Amino acid sequence: MAFWKSQPSKSDKPEEGKATATQAATAAGLSTAPSHTPLAIAELRRAVDPATLGFKTTSELEPARGLIGQDRALKAIQFGADMASHDFNIFVLGPAASGKTTAVRQHLERKLKDLPIPPDWVYVNNFETPNRPRALKLPPGRARALVKGMIAAIDELRNTLPTMFEGEDYQTRRRAIDEEFRSGQEQAFEGLNAKANSQNITILRTPNGFAMAPMHEGKIVKPEVFNTLPETMRKQIEQRIEALQKELAEIIEKLPKTDKQRRAKLSELNEEIAALAVHEALDDLAASFSDQPEVLSYLDAVGRDLIRNVGIFLAPAGEENEIVKQPADTARDPRFRRYMVNSMVSHNGDDPPAAPLVEELNPNYGNLIGRVEHIAQMGALVTDFLLIKPGALHKANGGYLMIDARKLLMSPFAWEALKRTIKSREIRIEQPSEMSGMMSTQSLDPEPIPFESKVFLLGDRELYYMLAQADPDFSRFFKVQADFDDSIARSTENDQAYARLIASIVMEHKLKPLDAAAVSRIIEEGARLASDREKLSIEIGRIADLVREADYWAAQAGRDVTTRADVAQAIDESIQRSDRLRDRAQETIERQIVLVDTTGAKVGQINGLAVLQLGDFAFGRPSRITARVRMGSGRVTDIEREAKLGGALHTKGVMILWGYLAGRYALDVPLALAATLVFEQSYGGVDGDSASSTELYALLSALSNVPIKQSYAVTGSVNQWGEVQAIGGVNEKIEGFFDVCKARGLTGDQGVLVPRANVQHLMLREDVVEAVKSGKFAVHAVDTIDQGIEILTGIKAGTRGDDGEFEAGSINRKVEEKLRAFAERGRAFSRRSEAGGNDSAPASDNGKPFT
Amino acid sequence: MIMHVAEAGEQRGRVVLHITSGHPNPVALEAAVRIAQAFHSEIESLFVEDLQLYDMASYPFAREISLTGSRSRALSRDAIERDLRLAGRALCRRVEALAHEAKVPLRTRVVRDDPVQALAKACAEDGPWNVVALADVLAPGQGTRLSELFANVAGYTGLMLVGPKARRTRGPVVAVIESLDHLPPMLRAAERMASVTGGVVMAMLLSDNAHDAQHLEEQTRLALGDQAKVLLLRCQIDQGAPAALAEAIRRLHGGFLIAHFGGILVPAHGDLRDLVAALECPLFLMR
Repeated sequence: MAFWKSQPSKSDKPEEGKATATQAATAAGLSTAPSHTPLAIAELRRAVDPATLGFKTTSELEPARGLIGQDRALKAIQFGADMASHDFNIFVLGPAASGKTTAVRQHLERKLKDLPIPPDWVYVNNFETPNRPRALKLPPGRARALVKGMIAAIDELRNTLPTMFEGEDYQTRRRAIDEEFRSGQEQAFEGLNAKANSQNITILRTPNGFAMAPMHEGKIVKPEVFNTLPETMRKQIEQRIEALQKELAEIIEKLPKTDKQRRAKLSELNEEIAALAVHEALDDLAASFSDQPEVLSYLDAVGRDLIRNVGIFLAPAGEENEIVKQPADTARDPRFRRYMVNSMVSHNGDDPPAAPLVEELNPNYGNLIGRVEHIAQMGALVTDFLLIKPGALHKANGGYLMIDARKLLMSPFAWEALKRTIKSREIRIEQPSEMSGMMSTQSLDPEPIPFESKVFLLGDRELYYMLAQADPDFSRFFKVQADFDDSIARSTENDQAYARLIASIVMEHKLKPLDAAAVSRIIEEGARLASDREKLSIEIGRIADLVREADYWAAQAGRDVTTRADVAQAIDESIQRSDRLRDRAQETIERQIVLVDTTGAKVGQINGLAVLQLGDFAFGRPSRITARVRMGSGRVTDIEREAKLGGALHTKGVMILWGYLAGRYALDVPLALAATLVFEQSYGGVDGDSASSTELYALLSALSNVPIKQSYAVTGSVNQWGEVQAIGGVNEKIEGFFDVCKARGLTGDQGVLVPRANVQHLMLREDVVEAVKSGKFAVHAVDTIDQGIEILTGIKAGTRGDDGEFEAGSINRKVEEKLRAFAERGRAFSRRSEAGGNDSAPASDNGKPFT
Repeated sequence: MIMHVAEAGEQRGRVVLHITSGHPNPVALEAAVRIAQAFHSEIESLFVEDLQLYDMASYPFAREISLTGSRSRALSRDAIERDLRLAGRALCRRVEALAHEAKVPLRTRVVRDDPVQALAKACAEDGPWNVVALADVLAPGQGTRLSELFANVAGYTGLMLVGPKARRTRGPVVAVIESLDHLPPMLRAAERMASVTGGVVMAMLLSDNAHDAQHLEEQTRLALGDQAKVLLLRCQIDQGAPAALAEAIRRLHGGFLIAHFGGILVPAHGDLRDLVAALECPLFLMR
């Protein structure tokens, strides 16, 4: 807040001249400068005559196909796409909204038909090493056949295997095996039982085994009865029981071994029966892939596993209806997952089949490389080969892949993964957490899939050069740069091409046609966007926005054809939506909060011009620059720099002033000058050298004590020879000062000085051109400082005569005289100091005595 | 009980689960619970400590051969008593768990007696609507045991038993109909059973000649009317071929087989050996 209150006091103000510069010159005996002609109307804006376009509305035009004026970039794309080497990938660089993405896509779409259709890829279970799924390469379009074929085969087995195992043949043979062993056991048991019974001994089942006792008429003989028997008989019975117990133990001991033999025989039978069904089910599939040895090898492995695990087909699933035998979806049945096929890339859905062109809009690691997903099961994360998901690299394999470079770089691990893929020429799916060694959960290590695609990275120039500098791999793998220009040269042919481009936008967005005047207005706006009357912006996005907005306003006005007025309204409305800060800046000047004079003349004070860029919107704003001078040791103090508000370029500009002053006015005397330069009421920092000529004018005014007309604002940089050089944002700067003057009332004396080199960039607003046309405003182009100072002061700048002196009454003469005076006074001070050893002798700014 | 309760629409009766060894068949235990569940009856678990085991253990030379045959030990009355007590407790817990899960009332009883006598007494105490469920597998060689049981035990209306291949109680309930007299009560019993086994009712019309088979089918269709839920199967078997029927039932994945005692399939004095050896589900025999 203190900034706004710190108004300079009257006493601090530089010498003011109430009268005009001419009057002051006359009074001071100065020579009046010759008149300088401002720029003609035609030089302020290059208009397009609608009649020269040769059509009434865009509906008569054939829309442009592709981009205009991007031959170099398109040739580079063509070259990169045609180069077979894997490291000749393409970085497409150009400004945002330049249409590069669309152009690349359209160009590549045309090329796709020339490429061979790439193979399909599937992942299948690896029956030997389940955590390393096998990748199978298939001819294009046959992945789906394998997927469906495997489902059909398993479906068939789900029907045939239970039938076969319930069939008479199997059951009979199984019964035979069972009976063979059971009857063996039973015979042994029954034999032993019969033997025991014949000896009046019974075998009883106890809770933990078997026991024997003497029997009579089917019942155990009571012990007390047994004890009444003769001892010899009792002994005899005991011995028989003992012998029978041994036999029983032997029979029982043989049971496990016998059962093992039975199971082995049953396994053989099961495999034999299963093999019949499995071979039957897989034979058709194997026949249809008989030209694919890898698939046949896989089917062999499937067959072996099916035969080994035939039990899963016989155990009913929970959801299966046992009566109607309606199977659950085989592909979803967890029992059969390992026989399913995961189609990673399939090309039979295309119409017509073609190599792929994939644009990955979200190029994070998983979307790019693919991922192994997990599902939670009983609190644990589990996965299998069916949960491998393809990434953009898989989908684009054999074709082209387009990626936004900035998004890619912002995604962790994605850039490194892409480089690794290009380098190794294979897509290897690894989870980022695995790469960093953070994951302990068991995951998959799928076989890599060979990678053969061209990668197109799209980004802006800054990104390209940053990558080129920061990452040595970048240049190795992206050897082709397709540089999209942001403008084309302006000519009648290009104007017409531009019109066709507008016609294509109309067609693409289904808009109302534009009449020729509207198109001419858009072409003019294209030149304005290019900041160059000799160029046309080809930022397609911005042009398309303008055409669509104009269409909206035409619709609001109830017109069937978009007119020039609609385009103008679209431009005005667009500016209005984003110029709040410009209005605030303008208001502070109008309310005298920011001090900018637009009338009168003052010594050492001048109006400079700056451009503020806010997003897509830029506007000019005048600001006051002042200079004060005194005797010193030859130093121009740039207050912006001292306050650390000035950038390097601004400092450079100020140093150039010093070179100019010293070289022109102090060839044979010391430059005993101390000067201060400042952008008044500037709090946000200053950079660029576009105000260096302005600062020089202020210095010359201060040195010559000749006032500068405040009705002018100045822009332009200067070199050491006093030549005024081109700057940027010339249109916005002129319009910024014009808006201030217009708000205060145009007097007819107001105008702007711009470097002559910038005349070719002038595409001023129509209201500025109108003001100039009616003599209320002027734009002067200057080549040198001398021309500029004459316009600003009305006093002749002056040249050196044969006597080596500048003309009397000229600005330069006054400047030189002032500098000589400073030098003389400085020398006098030095002499006095040396003679008297006077410590009070003035010191130079750097602490050394004047010499 | 089964036929009578089902016929009368009554909600009472009792399943006597007869356990005579420490190794009952799990399918038999589950089947007993399913029957009780289907007829909203209670289970009386009757664990019989065979007196003969005590007599045998009293011999000084009595030895027990383990189930693996690898070891033997001397037996005593104390040892057999302890073993039977422990086995009885374990079995009680097992049956309790099954009954609790099926929400079936349970009474447990442990008696020391001759197994057939104990069962006869239990049925006589609270008859006649009992069904006897034999918890031990009826091994093919135990035909005499069954004959003895039929001869000595009264006070029961049905008998449930399982063979060595018994493996399920879930699935269709197959009622073997041999005469029209038994059709309504057997179908009602089968429907009740089907309500707890999760299957459908299949009426297998069994006869030993084509003429009877045709007649039986016609009459059955008339009797069934529009009972679309009952699937009719016609089966003609030669005398003495129950194994073929067992195979047919196996293919149907039958959960229960209900048959009439004293008919073609199970003659009053016939041998159950082949049928029981082949069946994969429990067999209900109706008196």
